[in-house]
Amino acid sequence: MRRMRTALAALALLLAAGCAVDTAAPARAAARFHTAVAAHQDEAACAMLTRQAARKLPDPGETCATALGDLRLGPGGRVTSVEVWGDDAVVRLAGDTVFLHRFTDGWRVRAAGCEPERDLPYDCALED
Amino acid sequence: MRWIRENALSLTFMTLFVLALAGQAVAGMLEFNDQQLVNGLQPVSLLAYVTSSPFAVDVSENWQSEYLQFLLFIMLTVWLVQKGSPESKQPGEEGPGSDEEQLVGPYAKPRSPAWAKSTGLRLHLFGNSLGLTMGTVFVLSWLAQSVSGLAAGNAERLTDLRDPISWGAYITSPEFWNRSLQNWQSELLAVLSMVALSIYLRQRGSPESKPVGAPHSETGTEG
Repeated sequence: MRRMRTALAALALLLAAGCAVDTAAPARAAARFHTAVAAHQDEAACAMLTRQAARKLPDPGETCATALGDLRLGPGGRVTSVEVWGDDAVVRLAGDTVFLHRFTDGWRVRAAGCEPERDLPYDCALED
Repeated sequence: MRWIRENALSLTFMTLFVLALAGQAVAGMLEFNDQQLVNGLQPVSLLAYVTSSPFAVDVSENWQSEYLQFLLFIMLTVWLVQKGSPESKQPGEEGPGSDEEQLVGPYAKPRSPAWAKSTGLRLHLFGNSLGLTMGTVFVLSWLAQSVSGLAAGNAERLTDLRDPISWGAYITSPEFWNRSLQNWQSELLAVLSMVALSIYLRQRGSPESKPVGAPHSETGTEG
């Protein structure tokens, strides 16, 4: 009986570990992005975007860094909540909502400077 | 060799099931990766796809409806009849039947299963074990559909830059009921077709059909 209880506890632990969602990594990525933007390190911030977002952001003849600087995104502030579903995450900060996607090299920003629009998609200053 | 012949029906369906599930996994992964490219995201491996919520919801939504179909077929045919159908009992035979007809308790034969010879809860459980199993698998796979559907739906909502929703909101959402009902309607139509068409049509040699020469009005005979 004790052996069965130990086995069940081990199974529960394994399941919990397997199902545990890592919310810290996307939260760190969103915070790093806003830290870079606040410090006007726009090239570094652009390197944290998804390839599609970095490509769509600038107008013709403009660089991603210039376009990102022109957006004048407000400060992110502290992280208030994180939700991860599959390879996608939304990180809510005191001053912004950031959408991210997990790639093989880590979490990248898909959209930032986002305002909620009731149940419609967020209205984002930057999106892929 | 004899064992294979005696279990050929189950073995064939098992093989077809595995092949179809594998085919669904490959086709589903190719479709998923096509959409990933459209969204500027990375393609996923077959292993990543078969352990993902989009694959789980596609599998479980079909499983729940199949088990619901058989649960309803098994339970409703206890109480309802269809004159002329080989899938039905004779009119007038509705109900669970007497212990004598069911060979249980004192009427059990020497080769009857042990639980058929018992009484009380054991007999009740064994006497309803087929329906209980089908019902349990239906409930579990419908629950799995709701959880995996929530995960897949919320990932999609995040892709669309929308807020995720709760499980409670998901199981009352149009998507959950659309996924469930579109499967239920097809299963119910299939059962209706089987019950009604087998009154007038025959398949020579199949136990699911009446003998070719049996009258249309004859109920409950299988060829």
